[in-house]
Amino acid sequence: MTTTTAPAPAAPAARRPAVRPRLVPWLLRLHRPALYVWAALVLVLAAALAWLWGPITDAAAAAWRQYDACDMNRRCSYDQDAILRYKDVYGYTTFAVTALPFLVAAWSGAALFGRELENGTAQLAWVQSVSPARWLAAKLALPALLVTAGTGVLVTLHHLAWTAGRGRIDTAKPWTDDLTLHAGGPTTVAFALAGLAAGALVALLSRRALPALALTLCVTGAVRAAASWALPHLWPAVTHRSSLTTGYTSGGLEVEHGLITTSGTHIADPGCGPTTIEECRRLYSGLDATAFYTKTHPYSHYWPLQLTTTAVVLALTGLFVLAAFRVLRRTTGPAARSAGNTSATAATGTPARAGRA
Amino acid sequence: MLEYRIDRHSGVATYVQIVQQTKQALRLKLLEPGDRLPTAREVVEATAINPNTVLKAYRELEREGLVEARRGLGTFVRRSLGTAPTDDSPLRAELDGWAARAREAGLDRDDVAALFTAVLDRHFAVREEHLREEHLQGDAS
Amino acid sequence: MTDTGTALRAAGLGKRFGRSTAPWALRDCTLRLPAGRVCALVGPNGAGKSTLLAMAAGLLAPTEGGLTVLGEHPADARPRVGYVAQGKPLYPQLTIADTLRVGADLNPGRWDAATAGRIVAAGDLDPRARVRTLSGGQRTRVALALVLGKRPELLLLDEPMADLDPLARHELMGTLMAEAAQHGTTIVLSSHVVAELEESCDHLLLIGGGQVRMAGDIDDLLAAHTRVTAPAADADLTGHTVVESRTTGRQLTALLRPGGPLPEDWRTFAPSLEELVLAHLRNPQAPALTPAPAQPQETHA
Repeated sequence: MTTTTAPAPAAPAARRPAVRPRLVPWLLRLHRPALYVWAALVLVLAAALAWLWGPITDAAAAAWRQYDACDMNRRCSYDQDAILRYKDVYGYTTFAVTALPFLVAAWSGAALFGRELENGTAQLAWVQSVSPARWLAAKLALPALLVTAGTGVLVTLHHLAWTAGRGRIDTAKPWTDDLTLHAGGPTTVAFALAGLAAGALVALLSRRALPALALTLCVTGAVRAAASWALPHLWPAVTHRSSLTTGYTSGGLEVEHGLITTSGTHIADPGCGPTTIEECRRLYSGLDATAFYTKTHPYSHYWPLQLTTTAVVLALTGLFVLAAFRVLRRTTGPAARSAGNTSATAATGTPARAGRA
Repeated sequence: MLEYRIDRHSGVATYVQIVQQTKQALRLKLLEPGDRLPTAREVVEATAINPNTVLKAYRELEREGLVEARRGLGTFVRRSLGTAPTDDSPLRAELDGWAARAREAGLDRDDVAALFTAVLDRHFAVREEHLREEHLQGDAS
Repeated sequence: MTDTGTALRAAGLGKRFGRSTAPWALRDCTLRLPAGRVCALVGPNGAGKSTLLAMAAGLLAPTEGGLTVLGEHPADARPRVGYVAQGKPLYPQLTIADTLRVGADLNPGRWDAATAGRIVAAGDLDPRARVRTLSGGQRTRVALALVLGKRPELLLLDEPMADLDPLARHELMGTLMAEAAQHGTTIVLSSHVVAELEESCDHLLLIGGGQVRMAGDIDDLLAAHTRVTAPAADADLTGHTVVESRTTGRQLTALLRPGGPLPEDWRTFAPSLEELVLAHLRNPQAPALTPAPAQPQETHA
């Protein structure tokens, strides 16, 4: 201690950090409980799905074979418990996988971002040697990685489990079932990422944990509903014609149906019924209708539909992320380096552009 | 090691208190030539006063030739203030007699203190004024 | 005192939250804080102190004007600046030891584990204690350990001592002063009580109604003002800047910035810092005393 001499008025030459901030250990330290919960959840669900994929599906398929072999006239036994167990486990796991994006969204909006902005610990990180933009990038990237890995494993297992039962179990859900379709495809991964990004954006806007939680869930629900609604329209469907006497052909994922006029245009079906009913025949001829049509997606469209929907949801997620960065930049000012001219502005006293972005 | 006690309500400037207490320690031989004064860091850590206040006091002591700063080592006492009357000095004997007479005259402790301070001020005020003047000039220049 | 650097410089700085119809939290703020000072940022509640500090810390973008911190844009200066917000935010779920590890994680190349550890140890705190279990004073200690472990060149503290008992206040202030003595750290402490900062600070920045009312080295400010009492009948204050004046009976009392020699028969007193601050806050119409940007005062040193 040699400080009877005057303290150096200027600080020692700026020591630029030679090493990059260790953001991964920091994030893991902060969110250790969440990481454990996520890992446990993924493990338990994965185990349940693997169980469904193997033993449960096999047992239920065997039971259905027994049932189908039954002669209706004689007493006959089949393993009804196996069939019910398949139905239950399939239902619960499908619901759980469907709920994952909402869980991620709630955690993101409330714990990852909302609470930190509310109690000031986000600002605490920004005044360390980490810029707000890097803070946000790190807080999005690492969870995104873990969420993608976790949900990726689960939807893959779900898809395998569902495929294993297809054609072997009479009551297996068709691919067009909304929950089944999304729980077994990459759209659920995209929903989870959208929830994560929405959490960041909403929390940065509201800066309160509870409103952020509620709003993020709403946004994620809206994204999920919009994706369900949009999915059939994101790939060209196949049009089937059927005569007015037979009625509509069914099967596949229907986009729309209606009547075809003599000129070939598609018009709405007033919803009467086949022409075997006299009243309907008169109605259709009045509309100049010649046939029914149905636009549907066959099972072969499964992957194109999944992938286009995933792409659209991911694009939306990207917009959320971009908006979150913009909100952050608007409140905390331009990022380092990009605003070197502000120092000159400060000295001359002319209004700076800071904060107008 | 010398410890400074800062009285915020004394009305005496903080750096003057440090100067006075250092001199007091020199008179009482608590500090002798070659001794190191506490560093500014040590003083401010204990007193929570501004470091520049300590440095200002040390500069004043240095200017009076009582201490010297050795760069990188600290501030050291150069000479003692050996003028403090010891117990058997004539000055002390006179003061002793005076106090006894004051008591006989019916003065109580406060009266004596007030009287003593008034006389002290008359004889030593110049020095205080001098310090203060310099203080102001130093800041305004 | 030498001035080789500027810790904080603002020009025409203003901040308004929300829409353009919202009131200004801070307006037309022009100031310069030389490096190496311990500055008291004083003003009544809601004066704009926190806003100014948050902008200096790079947490808030100014609505107008600009500021530089340690000669850089606040965003670039971030690694060299320490800031403790009023609420002393810390991660409640972490232990004290983990909190300091976070400091090490996020400030690579700067982190001084020994300093941070010493400040925590001086408070008799168990490093394994969770932050959420700490009292207000203990939180402040951990927050200061975190910010001083970063070894900042400029330390911005928003009401740092508000929830401390006198003993802890004295001790932590001593820690801050020791930091300033050893490293020449520039410190800005905000408070609405000037008395608690008077001994520790050598520079004052007084903010009232969103504007700078008084700024400068405390010794200079005290030297520039005089409290006078004079007979009301023949007192002529022209030529002096009057901060505050009051006539009671036949006597006039005023706080002045003398513009020249004062008459012999006036009685003069040196005002205390608190008197000075209160007089300026009581009289918003009194002209502000700030170093003019055109001719910076610090050239005298």
